[in-house]
Amino acid sequence: MPLINLPAFAADLLADFERLGTLRVDTPVIQPAEPFLDMAGEDLRRRIFMTESETGKSLCLRPEFTIPVCLRHIETATGTPQRYSYLGEIFRQRREGANEFYQAGIEDLGEADVASADARAIGDAIAILTARLPGRKLNVTLGDQSVFEAVVAACGLPAGWQKRLIHAFGNSAQIDALLTRLSSPQPVTGLSPEIEALLASGDDATLIAHLDETMEATGYSTNASRSPKEIAARLKEKRALEKTALDGRTLAVLREFLSLNMPLADAPAALFQFAKKSGLTLDGALSRFDARVAALGNAGVDTKRLTYRAAFGRPLDYYTGLVFEIVIEGSSAVLAGGGRFDRLMTLLGARERIPAVGFALWLDRMEQALAQPEGEAAE
Amino acid sequence: MTITIALPSKGRMKDDASAIFERAGLKIVAVGNERSYRGRIEGLDDVEIAFLSASEISREIGSGSIDFGVTGEDLIREGLSEADARVEFCARLGFGHADVVVAVPEIWLDVDTMADLGDVAADFRARHGRRLAIATKYWRLTQQFFSAQHGIQLYRIVESLGATEGAPASGSADIIVDITSTGSTLKANHLKILSDGVMLKSEACLVRARKAEHEGDPLVARIIEAARRALG
Repeated sequence: MPLINLPAFAADLLADFERLGTLRVDTPVIQPAEPFLDMAGEDLRRRIFMTESETGKSLCLRPEFTIPVCLRHIETATGTPQRYSYLGEIFRQRREGANEFYQAGIEDLGEADVASADARAIGDAIAILTARLPGRKLNVTLGDQSVFEAVVAACGLPAGWQKRLIHAFGNSAQIDALLTRLSSPQPVTGLSPEIEALLASGDDATLIAHLDETMEATGYSTNASRSPKEIAARLKEKRALEKTALDGRTLAVLREFLSLNMPLADAPAALFQFAKKSGLTLDGALSRFDARVAALGNAGVDTKRLTYRAAFGRPLDYYTGLVFEIVIEGSSAVLAGGGRFDRLMTLLGARERIPAVGFALWLDRMEQALAQPEGEAAE
Repeated sequence: MTITIALPSKGRMKDDASAIFERAGLKIVAVGNERSYRGRIEGLDDVEIAFLSASEISREIGSGSIDFGVTGEDLIREGLSEADARVEFCARLGFGHADVVVAVPEIWLDVDTMADLGDVAADFRARHGRRLAIATKYWRLTQQFFSAQHGIQLYRIVESLGATEGAPASGSADIIVDITSTGSTLKANHLKILSDGVMLKSEACLVRARKAEHEGDPLVARIIEAARRALG
């Protein structure tokens, strides 16, 4: 099928992908909707085009390529490591503007050398954009959730709080609200005297048995949803924490970390200083971070021109480490977005853990940028 | 220009709406027999009354095929995206009260707030191999409340068009989002409302489709004015 609305530089992009040694794949435009809703959440439903098959199966027009490419990899039982590339249309509902866009990108599956794979993804995205948008100054911003995870772990916060903070990472409003909430004690109220007595006795087995009986008596299955054991465990955790609040010093440490923003080349030293000053042990996370910066240097990327922003992340639970995005200086339109999603393959049904990193290019925004004279930012 | 007002076609809502209009000096008379689905207002030749179901009224007001409607705020906000830009809430009519709430099984003793629910949702897949399932007919309101207001993304909606309160006990969902007026059905099904889980305090409203031609129309102004006076 000849696609006459392809951007003029599409052929060059495909040549770039070939030169980079990737395997180009295509995926059907019509996709099962379940994996997208399951991975990204219900919020996506409003933003994709959904329909139903005659047999009642939920289908959608491909809203992005990462999940279809990963599913295809699992279905065809291709070995790893494997680098895929794609170029095609994606479909998203928007209140204004177009609903179909061309997207291209690379997914790098199964490369065990994480630092090199991360560096290669960033380097490839920069190289492609530099070649296709000559003369434009690119701003690359990078974040890393695994450093934040190491910080909250090293602060010695309760496990439940760590999970909440990590879950909110990447959403600044939510993380602010959470830090405020954790700064005051959260009493557990409204429990019946019987439950209070069971909690106070420390007799877990009797508490669980009591919950079990109550569920049976009220017609609730004890294994279809949350189990008596799960409820009792979380209740005990809440009770144990009800008088605890995030102390001022830890709050200051977390806020300081989240405010870090600097050229990537300076980040290893700054993070080392931060850890030392705060008395936190972040060795593993920092050495992985440093290895990535070094790998970027080896790949010929000038790390002085990249920005590290500690609070930058994506609030999706399959992103595990690196995230990055690229804009033209002075513009907010993201031309390339990428990151590491080591959890996605197993969530989609892969039998073993497959590390993965990739990026996507927004071809319509690249076209708009090309239409602007050099040196002027598109908006 | 003819102004069309849609009123609920049956039940308490129909009687209460007619009563308000009568108090406002806008007496509604059926065209043809008592069961007719069309009516008019005594003394106002340019007004047509259409009797429709409450959810149809929400849809028709969104498309602008009627000018005014009396229906529940929940149906407007669920049925229309950017409701406030498309519809003016002219008056809250003081009947048809119902709250749209997030309710979880009473036995979830550790869950009292949306923040608690957020924790449970974040862990749900790891523990149960699936996302937290919410039974509701309020897709839009649920998404707005969970995602935009509380940053909770990881859940799945299970569509439920009736007897939603039974879903958690029957195992077809973990929690529900539904309307309640007295809370007695929730109680009977051993469900509790989260302390910050009231998403919307709904009641019947007189709503107007925002149309350019309403601008400066004395009849439009008179209807709004009369309804507000009747309530005052």
